[in-house]
Amino acid sequence: MARIQLLLVAVVVILLACLPLVIEKDSTLNLLVLILLFIIMASSWNILGGFTGQTSLGHAAFFGLGSLATRLLWIQGFPLLPSLLAGGGLAVVFALVIGIPAFKLKGVYFAIGTLALGQILFVTVGNLFPTISALPVEALRTYQLAPRYYLFLVLTILTVGFAYLLANSRVGLGMMAVREDEDAAEALGVNARRHKLLALVFSAFLAGMAGSAFAYYHVSYYYQFPFAPIWSFDTLTMVYIGGQGTIIGPIVGAIFFVLLREFLVLNVGEYHLIVFGVLFILVVLFLPGGFVEAWEKIRNLLVRRRSKRDRNASTTA
Amino acid sequence: MMKKRLSFLILIAILLSMVLTGCAPATEEPAPPEPAPAEEEPVAEEPAEEEPAPPPPAPEFIEIGASIPMTGKFGSLGNMVLPGYEYAVAAINADGGIYVEEYDAKIPVRFTYYDDESDPTKAVSKLETLYADQDVTVYLGGAGSAMHAAASAIAEKNQVPYCGIAFALYEIHQQGYQYLFSPFPKSPDMARDVYEYVNANVPEGERPTKVAIFAYNTDWGKELGGLWEDNAAEYGYEVVVREETPLAPDNDYTDAILKAKAAGAEMLLSMPIFPDGSGMFKTMAELDWAPKFALVIRAPEGVNWGESMGTIGEYVTIFPGWHHGADFPGVDELNAVYEADFGRPADLLTGPAYACVQIVAAAIESAGTLDRAAVRDAMAATDLETVMGRVTFNEDGTGNVWNPLIQWLNGALELVVPEDHATAEFFYPAPPFGER
Repeated sequence: MARIQLLLVAVVVILLACLPLVIEKDSTLNLLVLILLFIIMASSWNILGGFTGQTSLGHAAFFGLGSLATRLLWIQGFPLLPSLLAGGGLAVVFALVIGIPAFKLKGVYFAIGTLALGQILFVTVGNLFPTISALPVEALRTYQLAPRYYLFLVLTILTVGFAYLLANSRVGLGMMAVREDEDAAEALGVNARRHKLLALVFSAFLAGMAGSAFAYYHVSYYYQFPFAPIWSFDTLTMVYIGGQGTIIGPIVGAIFFVLLREFLVLNVGEYHLIVFGVLFILVVLFLPGGFVEAWEKIRNLLVRRRSKRDRNASTTA
Repeated sequence: MMKKRLSFLILIAILLSMVLTGCAPATEEPAPPEPAPAEEEPVAEEPAEEEPAPPPPAPEFIEIGASIPMTGKFGSLGNMVLPGYEYAVAAINADGGIYVEEYDAKIPVRFTYYDDESDPTKAVSKLETLYADQDVTVYLGGAGSAMHAAASAIAEKNQVPYCGIAFALYEIHQQGYQYLFSPFPKSPDMARDVYEYVNANVPEGERPTKVAIFAYNTDWGKELGGLWEDNAAEYGYEVVVREETPLAPDNDYTDAILKAKAAGAEMLLSMPIFPDGSGMFKTMAELDWAPKFALVIRAPEGVNWGESMGTIGEYVTIFPGWHHGADFPGVDELNAVYEADFGRPADLLTGPAYACVQIVAAAIESAGTLDRAAVRDAMAATDLETVMGRVTFNEDGTGNVWNPLIQWLNGALELVVPEDHATAEFFYPAPPFGER
């Protein structure tokens, strides 16, 4: 990463850290929280789906388990930090339990298998925990949005930083080798199952932590809500729109998705689902690498034009 | 190379922690100095006869907001609630608005609502939007206990008074919430009144002593189902079947009905949403199980029950909190405007919704300010004649209100209990489906 890019990242982080001081409206801060939440979700899905090529449709299960564990513990009076970590931990345990049988499935069967697991958890949690989970009245009266925002911000930085380090590590390269050709990777000595399982564990932990932060953030919801399949589908759509397998793609996808959704919900109501459906199909058909690919194409085009212009100029000279 | 990157990430983390420290919240900083004491700044002596300062300029509107399920599983309830709010606001505004002493002026009400599609999470988000964008003085509730259970926590967090009807959930009132008010019969009332009303209207030997309860696996379903079961023995009843189903529009009740029929149940107590209740009764007709008495809350409350169910839906009773035949001040006027728009008297939940706005308006006027805490205190002290009778509130925000029993008779909703308001006689026992 170029020094200038790193500097830019630092500036963005500092700006984001100071935002709660200048933003007066809670609704704007809520929107930022939502963006950060989805950056974590998209980046965590990207480790499994983008780096390793295992398309999961059950990401909501990890998110939901994180929120469930944290909410139950925290509301019972456990300290916040251990409660948050317990959320991530429970998601990892679930990932390890399902990972070994799930990776016997490949391609579309893996996707369907994870979708089924997510749905099973969704229904089961709805049956086991049918009542509302609202914060206790003391917590409601002292509720502040800024600490929640900072929690999401720190988690986002850690998630993106981790994804960046992973992508440039030996393990990350192994995951990408599995994505490109599992048999060839095995032939070259990459343990495909181990790499897929590692990707699932990393992905689950980060999604679980996002769920944990959600449990700390949200005032009142039904326990079943974070397990809803829409969390998986929205996350997947963001990564595809932004550019899977890249670091910046899920970030761009999450920002674009959340902002566009807010705009469309206010202006066209529930029809926004149709817009996203069409957008998803268009991206998959014409821009499989998402916005990142589009940007690469535009940049290459500009570079080629400039070099052509330079060549012409030097020939003329 | 890897070490370099790691160092830079650590650097960013350190920078962030420095920034976070630097951007410490204002509450942790020392409080700004108090304004100089009066003696340091001599104040010109005012002549005693000088007129008091004029009131501050009044806001253009009193903002009242609601998140209502106009579509989705609670849509049929929400569509009865909304007109109640709208008619009451229109009546207030036709009179110039609500008088607020602080501004010495009548201020019109601006009512803003969103459709939350019967999704509690969306209701929460809409209420946050109303608070942030409209700066509402009061929230009006939607419909359905699950919706109110989620929404009332937001009212408490934002410290905005919340008046909600069309929900009987009692447990939410036991959370210590200060801003939640509900002039509507609650589960303990419904669990007691059903047995008392039947006992008062049916001779001892003819009572339907065996009870079947079909309840949802939700906050309210568990609460009311449990109370029905707990109270049964005290009033001489026996619960022979208690089934729980998810809150869904299309549950299959075949097994539950067969169990109830086999156990000889003669009384059905249930709270399905409209399409689910409709399916339940059609299955009951197919399986030929017609309980002598059926209290079915929610599904039969809308006129669509009568239109779509025909004789199958006859004789069912409801606890909706109100009826257009009630003999209270303002009911005739409400029925007249409703009739002009819809061609029928006001719907069952329209009256309580109208009463909610009456309560809110009276509280604002009594508080003499738009300060939410003062309005909340005034609401807590409510003692008002409304279209649903006299309303006062208990400490937990539950209302002291009447709980009329309504029955479907000859394709119409009739008020059958209490007798002094009755529009028709209570019909018992309900005949078998084949004889209707």
